Amino acid sequence: MIRLSGLRKHYRVHKRPPGLKAALKSLFKREYEIVKAVDGIDFSISPGERVGFLGPNGAGKTTTLKMASGLLHPTSGEVTVDGHTPQKRENEFLKKIMLVMGQKQQLMWDLPPADTYELNRAIYDVPRADFTKRLKELTELLELGELVTKPTRQLSLGERMKCELAGALIHGPKVLFLDEPTIGLDVSMQVAMRDFIRRYNEEHGATLILTSHYMDDVAALCPRVIVIDKGALSFDGKLEDLVTQVRPEKRLTLRFSAPVSREQVAELGTIVKHEPAQAVLLVKQSAMNAAVAKALATLPVQDLNVENPPLEEVMSELFSRSRAAREVA
Amino acid sequence: MTRYLRLLGLQLRTSALLAAQYRFDFFVDAAISLFWTATAVVPLFVVYGEETRPGIPGWSFGEALVVTACFILLQGVLDGAINPGLQAVIDHIRKGTLDFVLLKPADAQFLVSTSRFMLWRVFSLVTSGIVFGIAFHQIGHGPSVLGVLTALVLFAVATLLLYSLWILIISAAFIVVKVDNLTYLFSSIFDAARWPSSVFRGAVKFFFTFVIPLAVMTTFPAEALLGRLAPMTLVSSIGGAFVFAAVARRIWLRSIGHYTSAGG
Repeated sequence: MIRLSGLRKHYRVHKRPPGLKAALKSLFKREYEIVKAVDGIDFSISPGERVGFLGPNGAGKTTTLKMASGLLHPTSGEVTVDGHTPQKRENEFLKKIMLVMGQKQQLMWDLPPADTYELNRAIYDVPRADFTKRLKELTELLELGELVTKPTRQLSLGERMKCELAGALIHGPKVLFLDEPTIGLDVSMQVAMRDFIRRYNEEHGATLILTSHYMDDVAALCPRVIVIDKGALSFDGKLEDLVTQVRPEKRLTLRFSAPVSREQVAELGTIVKHEPAQAVLLVKQSAMNAAVAKALATLPVQDLNVENPPLEEVMSELFSRSRAAREVA
Repeated sequence: MTRYLRLLGLQLRTSALLAAQYRFDFFVDAAISLFWTATAVVPLFVVYGEETRPGIPGWSFGEALVVTACFILLQGVLDGAINPGLQAVIDHIRKGTLDFVLLKPADAQFLVSTSRFMLWRVFSLVTSGIVFGIAFHQIGHGPSVLGVLTALVLFAVATLLLYSLWILIISAAFIVVKVDNLTYLFSSIFDAARWPSSVFRGAVKFFFTFVIPLAVMTTFPAEALLGRLAPMTLVSSIGGAFVFAAVARRIWLRSIGHYTSAGG
């Protein structure tokens, strides 16, 4: 469905040191540098797949999405989406895709979302019957109710985002580019949006690429993740594999019925936190079974819990490692 | 073609909905329109006010007033139909929301150009009609049917020229950060269209005929109404307008090819 090969986007950026002298000099002689926003990315995504696209700020995620949706022309390399070359912006291609950007909105500010939907219906040539059916479905799934008839400016951020999503889906796209769709939303709204996106993907078989700084979005929606940093691909695979690769240990939490000393707990793994009645440890996955068996046999364990480290921690570690590697280089 | 006409109808409907949201604007616009009509006419009274003053050579007071009426009408078209949509492009580029326009399966130039109309500016039709009435009353006879038809064609030509010039300015917004200055500059230059082109001489006359063809926009339609436009002038005006439109279209397409989007 989506295929990127050797995709690059380089920008020529004016560079100038601070100060008046440098500013005046730059009026006559300018120095430029090449910023490699995306520098040779290859991956392909099958129809119906849900993929999380991760990376620190400035990694090149949004630039890649914009090239895949046809907004930006690549410097070199190739991108195809369902057999189309996005930068040609053929109508047939544009009718198959949608792009939602959490920080930008397409709804008309002073009019109710229903008016934007009506305009989109005409632009996308959606037959009236299909439009009515789809809008009804979206209204139910997103619980829009009366929201579509209120002026956009009167809606809360969460309500507006739901209406944005409905507007972007009114033409029934097959490929969804979602760039930070839950940014700024409260937790319950984030959950509602995730549920909706998953249901849409399952019911319509749509392909989905999601970028988000909320790891819960990625964990809930994307079995596969692609990580890029400084414009280059650094991981492509299952989310669990990424976690294992970055943090081979799992987190073992033990609660005791009687006080337990630090020395007794230290034998099981690396201590993260210790209190007489509770301990949190990091234990290698391969040693987890033995550690649990030993804890149950030797300590007054009342309750235990084994879990992966929080995804935020994993990503933070991954990004700080690549930052450190860059600094060394 | 019918699809685009349908889209235009829908965009007009959207603008009507917006206009209805802010009905107070109607009264403000009506007042502003009257004010601008007055300011457009007052300089003529200065020029033709006393019998000792020569006025504009080749143009009686009534004839010069026809040019002013053409100017008021075209200003209404500019403010009501051309400016709002294209001004919105500048905002779109700054906020990065032009992305949404470019991702729509329809011609982006059409979508941005028709995205917003200030329907209340239709009031300029009324004020220019009043000035036309006074002008022809002064002259002593009305225009011929052929004169009116030729003038209507030239108004269409003038609208196409104005639109193309705006597209060229807007295309600069993809490269220049502060395009506002260019729009102010253009508005100031357009102000010169209130005068018959014969007031300009030499290089300025050349500039206002071929580079920014203000003469084509107001003086030629006025001459058509007064029955003294040479047929060749009409033909070359139409040809010139189409060349302008083609160049503007080409530059627009090149500009969106270089669009870098904002944010993210």
